Amino acid sequence: MLEEILKSIVEMEEEEAVKKAKEYLDGGGDPQKLLEVCRDAMGEVGSRFEKGEYFLSELILGGEIFRQIMEFTLPKLQSGSVKKIGKIVLGTVKEDVHNIGKDIFKVFAEASGFEVIDLGIDTPEEKFVEAVKEHKPDIVGMSCLITAGVTSMKKTVDKLKEAGLRDSVKIIIGGGRVDESVKEFAGADAWADDAAKGVRLCKQLIGVEG
Amino acid sequence: MVSNAKELAEKRMARLMAAINLEEPDKVPLAGVGGDIVPAYAGISMYEYCYDVEKAVKATEKFIKDFPCDWPFAASVVGLDGRVFNVAFSEFPDICINLTFITGPMHDALGDKYYRYPGREISPDSSPQFIGGAFMEADEYDKLIADPVKFIAETVLPRACRNLETPRKAMAAMVRLGREISNFNALMGQIVGKMIENGYPAMALGGAYAPLDLIGDFLRGVENLLLDIRRCPEKVKAAAEALVEPIMNYALAHKSIGANLAFIPLHLNEYLSPKLYKEFYWPTLKEVIERLVKEGFKVMVFFEGKHDAHLETILELPKGWGVAYFEKTDVVKAKEVLKGHTCVMGGIPMGLIVGGTPAQIDEYVKNLLEKVKPGGGFILAPGVGTAPRETPLENIKALVEAVEKYG
Repeated sequence: MLEEILKSIVEMEEEEAVKKAKEYLDGGGDPQKLLEVCRDAMGEVGSRFEKGEYFLSELILGGEIFRQIMEFTLPKLQSGSVKKIGKIVLGTVKEDVHNIGKDIFKVFAEASGFEVIDLGIDTPEEKFVEAVKEHKPDIVGMSCLITAGVTSMKKTVDKLKEAGLRDSVKIIIGGGRVDESVKEFAGADAWADDAAKGVRLCKQLIGVEG
Repeated sequence: MVSNAKELAEKRMARLMAAINLEEPDKVPLAGVGGDIVPAYAGISMYEYCYDVEKAVKATEKFIKDFPCDWPFAASVVGLDGRVFNVAFSEFPDICINLTFITGPMHDALGDKYYRYPGREISPDSSPQFIGGAFMEADEYDKLIADPVKFIAETVLPRACRNLETPRKAMAAMVRLGREISNFNALMGQIVGKMIENGYPAMALGGAYAPLDLIGDFLRGVENLLLDIRRCPEKVKAAAEALVEPIMNYALAHKSIGANLAFIPLHLNEYLSPKLYKEFYWPTLKEVIERLVKEGFKVMVFFEGKHDAHLETILELPKGWGVAYFEKTDVVKAKEVLKGHTCVMGGIPMGLIVGGTPAQIDEYVKNLLEKVKPGGGFILAPGVGTAPRETPLENIKALVEAVEKYG
């Protein structure tokens, strides 16, 4: 059964996947095992994306299937029983109001076992600084779509430096318009222009197998 | 007035047209940067640039004077894509062509939920941004298919625009919108005047849209549409087909202003696998382009993101159809595939202009032009034209100078 659920998710059979996951739980299946299978499936979706076999539409649909299954699976899990591999403070940077890239990344990061604190869009530098102080994340993830976001990323890194917090976190930037030179410019540790790569790099940044 | 303005404009125009017609120009044409840097360079806020005609004209003139290029494509317009309004007004050729760009004041008049403007929903220094949204339900495809213009004008827009919610509100909104169209045309008239004075070709640009993008950007929202493609594929396909006619009506209305280049910015292209692209996106887009070409237009398509997986489909278009403007697709590879068939545009990553040094930019342009210059049919341009306000000016200068040297 779990094998079939995994296959349905990976093959983008939305209805089938959700139906089978429900049946599995209704039949007394272990929600922890279901969660693990869903995570494996999302990992496979991500890796197919990185190989060029899947595209953004599959990432989004995969995320949607995962979200639907989690809706009825997570309440069945005992709190604290879900192991987290790391914590990410995530936001779309100041002056940018786009959320789609950030949200795709978030689903995949959560599916990989990260706890994600989502600061939303148009996030002021200070809000990132406060969130780092409060949540002590392993990673700060900054997203932008518009080119103006690139300078907001740099300013946010600078503010983290000023606050003496830069060395306590790894910083990854993401979005359609970031690249190696933007990473250098902003002073980040890694960059990704897709969610699958972003999550893989996050794992590498905290020393977990990617 | 630049003393030899007319001559300079003719030279630049010839350069561009040679590239578009797949010939080798005297020099590789450069389409320059624009965006946030334009108001920043003039010392005004983004809000002023979007709302104050006089200041916007001055800022534009200062920028195109100090950072010359062959085609100030990205620096010439202050507005966000308004293709849903073009379709809504597509039965009225005199009106529909005026709504390709929704300016800040038009956004105020409409009270729409598609855009965010500086000094309104976002800070005065922020770039104007399009965020789209979902203003049509999944079970409404049949209505869209049956009469797309009626459905968009009478059902979608009243949901998407606060000031069109009721007929009595809409009356006032339309009067205001009309006033802002006049203001925008006056602004564009002044900007074109400044371009001519400064030796730039005055090119009337037309427009069209990929039918599926219209659904994703303005009706269902991108994520919903991607799910619809799986959940109700036949309806999505039929809806895209139904939108071809109104989009053509809008596109052909540009004949009246003498436009012979139609601009189509794409959005969903990089979201789709080759299979989905070929089934849902490309057939109707291809039809729009082919019909425009038959009507005597050249078409310029902006392929957002990475278009590598779909590159070969461009060869299905008639040779010399127009310009393929790429954002992140490798233009060297693209030119390899498309040479002798399609003019290729792009090549400069904005990250390099923002984060690089003048020496790096010089080196980059030199290497790139060595590969793409031979044989012509190439326009050098930033992958996205919007340069952030902190973009180092010496880097923009370096780009201009490098093209001067190696073009």
